[in-house]
Amino acid sequence: MKQGAAPSIRSPRGRRRWSWSPGIALQVVLLVALSAIWIYPFLWLVSASLKGSLELFVSGLDLVPKHWEWSNYSRAWNDAGFSRYMVNSIITTAATVLIVIVRCALTGYVLARYSFIGKRFVLGVFLVTIFVPEGYTIIAVMELSRQLHLLNSLLGITLALSAGGHVAAILLYTGYFARIPRELEEAAVLDGAGFFEIFRSIMMPLAGPVTATVAVLTFLGAWNAFFVPLVFTFSKPELRTLAVGMLAFQGEHSTDWSGMAAAATLSLIPVVLLFMFLQRYFMEGIAGAVKA
Amino acid sequence: MATTPESTSVPLAARGRRGARQGVLARLWADRWIYLFLLPTAVLYSLYTIWPIGVSWWYSLLDWNGFDQHGTYIGLANYREVLQDPFFWHAFEHTFVFALISVPVRLVLTLIVAVMLNNPRMPWASLFRTALFVPVVTTTAIIGIVMQFVFDPAGGPVNLFLLKFGLIDRPINFLGDSSTALYTVMVVHVWKWFGVTMIYWLAALQTISTEYYEAARVDGANAVRVFRDITVPLLKPFAIIIGVLTFIDTLKIFDLMLTMTGGGPYFSTEVIDIFIYREAFAATIPRLGYASAAAVTFGMLTIVIAVVQLLAARYAQRARRTS
Amino acid sequence: MTPNSTRGTISRRTLAKAVGAAVGTLALTHPLGTLAQDKVTIHWWDQFLPIAPLEKKLFAQFHDKNPNVTVEYKVYNPNEMGQALQLAHKSNQAPDVSTLAGIGLPARKLYEEGWFQKLTNGVQIDKSLPAGSLLEGFTNFDGDIYSFPTFSFRQYTTLNWFNKDLMKLTDSDPETGPKTWEEMRAAAKAITDKGNGRLFGWIFDLNFTDRIAVHLDELAQTAGAPGGIDPKSGEYAYATDPYAQAMEFLLSMQKDGSLFPASSTLDARAARTRWATGTSGMFFDGPWNIGVVQSDLKEFIDKVGVAPVPRPQGTSNLIHVGPQGGTFWLSAQSKHPEIASDILTLFTTSDYYVGLAEQMDQPPLDLDAVDKANVHPTYKQAVGFYKNEVRLGPSAVVRNPAVSLVNAEMKDIHPNLGEITQGVFSGDVKDYQAALKTYNDAMTAERDRALKVVQSKGQRVSQGDWVFANWDPAKDYTTEMYPKGQ
Repeated sequence: MKQGAAPSIRSPRGRRRWSWSPGIALQVVLLVALSAIWIYPFLWLVSASLKGSLELFVSGLDLVPKHWEWSNYSRAWNDAGFSRYMVNSIITTAATVLIVIVRCALTGYVLARYSFIGKRFVLGVFLVTIFVPEGYTIIAVMELSRQLHLLNSLLGITLALSAGGHVAAILLYTGYFARIPRELEEAAVLDGAGFFEIFRSIMMPLAGPVTATVAVLTFLGAWNAFFVPLVFTFSKPELRTLAVGMLAFQGEHSTDWSGMAAAATLSLIPVVLLFMFLQRYFMEGIAGAVKA
Repeated sequence: MATTPESTSVPLAARGRRGARQGVLARLWADRWIYLFLLPTAVLYSLYTIWPIGVSWWYSLLDWNGFDQHGTYIGLANYREVLQDPFFWHAFEHTFVFALISVPVRLVLTLIVAVMLNNPRMPWASLFRTALFVPVVTTTAIIGIVMQFVFDPAGGPVNLFLLKFGLIDRPINFLGDSSTALYTVMVVHVWKWFGVTMIYWLAALQTISTEYYEAARVDGANAVRVFRDITVPLLKPFAIIIGVLTFIDTLKIFDLMLTMTGGGPYFSTEVIDIFIYREAFAATIPRLGYASAAAVTFGMLTIVIAVVQLLAARYAQRARRTS
Repeated sequence: MTPNSTRGTISRRTLAKAVGAAVGTLALTHPLGTLAQDKVTIHWWDQFLPIAPLEKKLFAQFHDKNPNVTVEYKVYNPNEMGQALQLAHKSNQAPDVSTLAGIGLPARKLYEEGWFQKLTNGVQIDKSLPAGSLLEGFTNFDGDIYSFPTFSFRQYTTLNWFNKDLMKLTDSDPETGPKTWEEMRAAAKAITDKGNGRLFGWIFDLNFTDRIAVHLDELAQTAGAPGGIDPKSGEYAYATDPYAQAMEFLLSMQKDGSLFPASSTLDARAARTRWATGTSGMFFDGPWNIGVVQSDLKEFIDKVGVAPVPRPQGTSNLIHVGPQGGTFWLSAQSKHPEIASDILTLFTTSDYYVGLAEQMDQPPLDLDAVDKANVHPTYKQAVGFYKNEVRLGPSAVVRNPAVSLVNAEMKDIHPNLGEITQGVFSGDVKDYQAALKTYNDAMTAERDRALKVVQSKGQRVSQGDWVFANWDPAKDYTTEMYPKGQ
C-alpha cells in the first residue's frame, strides 16, 4: 500500500486462532445457513443448465439431473451467440471503466488542487445533477446517439455508460487529491516537471486506492448494465451484451429455458472467477467508497 | 511537455494573491492545462447528462410518438396528465416504498453480519464473506430469471421447502400476487446487494481500533453493551455515507423488476423506470413526450425530497450542536 | 470518411456498392465474367421463428438462381422488433423487407410517414392471389400495391388445447374435449379434484395482457358480442353483457381452484411449456401451439388434443375478424426494390402455402393447402374449426382509409381490456363491470377526440364510418358489400 492509502481489509492470514465458544458457534451456524441461502440460486442455475427443458419444471428440490444434457451448453455457446455477447460485454465494460477513470481522475485532480475561473460553476453543475436517475435521460441519450450515428455500435453503448453521470467518482478523486501534501509536487516543480508530468507520474500513482474503488464500482455498474444495452441493440442483436443476450432465448412462441440457464452459467463463470482471484481488491475497492 | 514552470502548476495557496493581479484572459491562458484536463468531462458530461436533462424538458412539452421526425408542441398538457395519472403516482409510491423498506433492512442486516465477520476469532470469515458477495457480481437479468423459478408457486424450491417443513399449508404465489410481489422483489434485491453494504460496514468497522474492544472486555462488558456503547457511536459518521450509497442503489431497480415481474401483476410492482419504459418503449404507440414529462416530474420530486432531507439533517445537526 | 466528401456521409451500403462496382470492373477484364454483376444483399427481418427454416430454404433457392443476391435474414422477438424497426428507420438502416411486428401504428400511417415503397411487381402479385386479398388501407394505398397477406384471416387464438390423458379424468370426451363453458368448467374442476393438489384443470397466461384481451374478446363473441365495436351502431361494446359473462366464466374456474397457481406470472411461452409438463389440463392458444410442441416439446405431442373456442350452452355464435393486412413490407430505404419484390413473389405460391402449413404457425392464405400438407391432426382440426366458425367482419379502414389516421391518433388507455382481466384475477379490480364501463367510456371519448384532431387536419372521417347497416353476422362481409360513394 502506498502512502496515504486507506487501511486494507484485514486479510485472514496472520489472524489469531479461531474461537469455538458457544456464542461463536451459534453465529457460525447462522452464517452457514445464510451462506447456503445465498449460494442456493447458483446451484439451482447450474443444475437447471444440465436438465431437459421439461424436467426443469417438475424436478422440485432435486438438484441432480436425470439425464445430463450437455447439449444445452453447446446450444447456448454456438447457436445463441453467447461467445459474441461475452466479447461485447468485455469490450464495453473495459472501455467504460477506462473512460470513467481517465475523465474523472483528470477532473477530480484540477478541482482538488487548483482554483480557476469557473470552478464554482463546475462544482455547482455536478452537485445539481448528481441524483438524476437513468430513466430521466435515456430518451434524450438515444436521440443524441442516433444523431451522432452511434446507435448501433459498441462505442455508442460505451459512451452512454461512461460519458454522463459518475459524479461520485469525480468527487472521490477530488477528495483524495485534496489530501495529498503539497510538498510532493513542489519538489517535482523544482525538478522541472510539467503540469501533465506531475499528474501522470506523481499524482495518479498515489491515487491507486481511489482508482481501484472507481474501477470496481464502474465495473459492477457496466457489467450489470441492462437498460442502455437493451435499447441500444434493438436493431443489432449481435451487439448485445451478456445481460441483454438472455433475451435471445425467447422466441416468438417459445423460450429455451435450459439453454438460457446454460448461457447464464457460462456468463457467470468468468466474472465469478475474476472476483475470486481479485477478491481482496474488489472488497478494498468498495470499502474505499466509504473511507474516502 | 510545453509548459513552463511558472505558468500553471502553482498550488492553491499561492494562486489567490497572484490571480487577482492578472487579467482574466491572461489567467485563462495561464490555466490552459487546467481547462485541458476538464475538457473530456466537459464535453462528455455536457452531451450525455446536461443536454439530455435540458432537452427532456423540451420533449416533455411535445406530443411525440417517436415515428414522426418531430413532435407537436402541446405546452404543459403532458404535465397535467402526469399529475392526474394514478399509474404515475403508483409507480412513484412503489419506488419510494421499495427504498424506504429495503434500505433500513439492508443496513441493519448487513451491519449484524459485518459485526460477526469482523470478529477476528470467527472461523471461515472470508469464506462467508465470499459467499455473501457472489450475487453482487452476478448480472441482474440472470438473477431476475432464476428467481422467477425459485419463487414459483407450483414446484419452486422456496414453496416446496416451506411446505415440506409445514411452515405453510398452501403454496404462496410470491410474484403472482399483487400483495406479495413487491416485497418478494425487495427480498431478492436485498439478497443481491447485501455483499456491497456488508463490505461498507466492514470497512467502517475496521477503522475502530481493537484496543477499544480489549479495554471493554477487561471491564467485563458483554457483546450487546460493546456494540451499543462502542461500535454504534464510532460508526455513526459512516452510517450516513453508507445509507446514501445504499439508497442510490435502491433507485436502480429497473432491470430486476423488468426481468422478475415486468411491473405486474396489475401494475403492483411498477416502479418509475418501468413506467417510463412502458410509455416510451413498450407501448403500442410510444409517447416519448409523456414519458419525458413523467421522468422530469419524478426527477424534480426526487431532488425536492433530497434537498428536504439534507436541510433536515443539517437542522438536526445544528440543533444538537447548540444544545 | 474521405476528406473530399462534401457532406461526409458515405453510407456503408454506398461504399459496399462502390467497392462492388470496382470489383465488377476488375472482373470484366477477368475470364470469370459472372462476377460482373453487383453483389446485392437484401436485409430481411421478421418474427416468424417457426417458419424460419422454410424462409431460409426460399432464400437459398433464390440465391441459387441469382448468385449475386444474398438475403441476410434475421428473426426477431416481436416485442423488440417494433423498437428495432423504429430506430433502424430513423437512422436510415432499415431492412429492405420486414414485417411490422411490435409496431402499434397502422400501416397506412407509416405509409404517410414515408416508411414504404410500392412493390415493383404489384400487378403480377395481385393475379396470383385469391380475389379480395388486397384491400385499400390494408395492403394498397392510393391505388398502389405495397404488400399482401400470407396468412388466412380465418383464424382465432382461443382454441382450447387440452391434455388427452388428463381429459380422461373428466366427463368430457378425451379425444374431442369440452365444447361449452359449462363443460370446460366441469372438466377443469374434475382434473383439479382428482389431482390431489398436483394437477390443475386450466392454465392461463395472465402475464401476457395483450393475449388475454384477445381471449376475453373471442369468448365474449361466442356469447354474442359483435366484437369490440358493434358494426350496427359503430359504438364500443366492451360494457355489454357478453364481455361480463366471458369474464365471469373465466373467473369461475379460478374460484373453483382449477387455475394453475403460477398462471399470474406466465406469458404464453412459459404457460405453454408448463402445460406441456402435464400438470395442467387445458390451455387457450392459437394454432401455432402444436407447431411449438412439435419443434420444442416433442415428448408431449401424443397427448395433445384440441377443441374449438368454448361457447355458452346452446349458442352457435361466430367469431368475427377483420381483414388480414399485409405481412411483408418493402422499405422506402431499400436500394433494390425490384430484387426484393421478386423475392416476395416466392411467398405467393401454393408450394409456399403448403410449406407454411407444415410449420404449423398461423394458417396459410390458402386454407386448402393444409389438406395437402403433412401436419399434425390437431392442426387440421383447428383449421376445420376456423372454416366453420370464423366470418370476415366489416372494416372501417377499408371503407375509409382516413380511419387509420384516427386509430393512429388514439392514445393507449390504461387499464386496457387485458390489464383489467389481469387485475380481476389478481383481485386488484373488484368490480369488473365498472372497470369495463370505464374502459368503454374512455375509448369512446378518446376516439371522439382523435376524430376531431383528424377532422381538423382536413380529413373527411366520422363515427358513421364504423356503422355498417347491411352487416349480417352469419356472412362474410366482402368487398362488394361496402357502402359506395364515400
